[in-house]
Amino acid sequence: MRVTSRLMHDKPADGSAVWRSRRTSQELTCNHLVAYRRPMDEVFKALADASRRALLDRLHARNGQTLTELCDGLAMTRQAVTKHLTILETANLVTTRRHGREKLHFLNPVPIHQIGERWIRKFERAKLTALGELKKRLEEGDD
Amino acid sequence: MTEPSQAVDISKFKPETVYTIYIAASPERVWEALTSAEFSRRYFYGFAVEADLRAGGDFIVRAPDGSEHISGEVIVCEPPHRLTITWDVNWPGLVEALGRTLVTYEIEAAGEAVRLTMTEAHERPLSDDILSGGRQGWPTILSSLKSLLETGKPLAVKTSPPARMLAALKALGVALPG
Repeated sequence: MRVTSRLMHDKPADGSAVWRSRRTSQELTCNHLVAYRRPMDEVFKALADASRRALLDRLHARNGQTLTELCDGLAMTRQAVTKHLTILETANLVTTRRHGREKLHFLNPVPIHQIGERWIRKFERAKLTALGELKKRLEEGDD
Repeated sequence: MTEPSQAVDISKFKPETVYTIYIAASPERVWEALTSAEFSRRYFYGFAVEADLRAGGDFIVRAPDGSEHISGEVIVCEPPHRLTITWDVNWPGLVEALGRTLVTYEIEAAGEAVRLTMTEAHERPLSDDILSGGRQGWPTILSSLKSLLETGKPLAVKTSPPARMLAALKALGVALPG
């Protein structure tokens, strides 16, 4: 009985097994949403927290920091920072690399870039850049 | 897989920029896209990658005008999982001013997709102004590579080198092309 039900589960009712077998030798899915939807949920969840955005800001100011450097001057415990970094890594917003004995954390802007590619049209980019620059200049002028 | 080239001591290079992207393709296809001119011209602003895929082999990135933008060397070659190359841009005086650059691609299977990580490592500490060139370029190049492999079409994004990088290079005495 159990064996039968497992066999049935091996062949999903939604036809995804058929879809897989039809994929070309080039491994094209021809549907970027397949690869896009789940990871994007993780990105938005990770960004919906001020502490995690603060950690990304710190990496944006200086990339490639150790955990100790990231914790320095923050009102968060080391454990809390570790927990947030794990969520950011799962969302692919932070990547780590070993350098000698140190584990360095890097801001990975690729998922944010992909959000931009999805919602910003090509011809809008130059205008948005110009507006962003204008806003920056006006705000700097207030100092 | 071959023994790493003795040309550079990888441990001396510090990672400065690391980008990771998930691509719905096989490791072999991603490897091919990273190492063949036919693919790279489509996602890398028309630049052609010409790689002699063995440690010590040449790694050339040729600009659309036929000039060698990068005349590098293959340091580690483990198809289809790891490729480390020297990535020194051929602008006069650049390597003297900045030291050498290493780029490593790591390709790991992640379910039905792969996780591609690009690490740009440098021999000397560099300012954010200098590093802004790679930090602006790589996300576009990697996103375009992903689109090409998943949909058959690259992204049509045109960027030019950031002004702050050009100014910083000029201040260091590097002759800028054009």
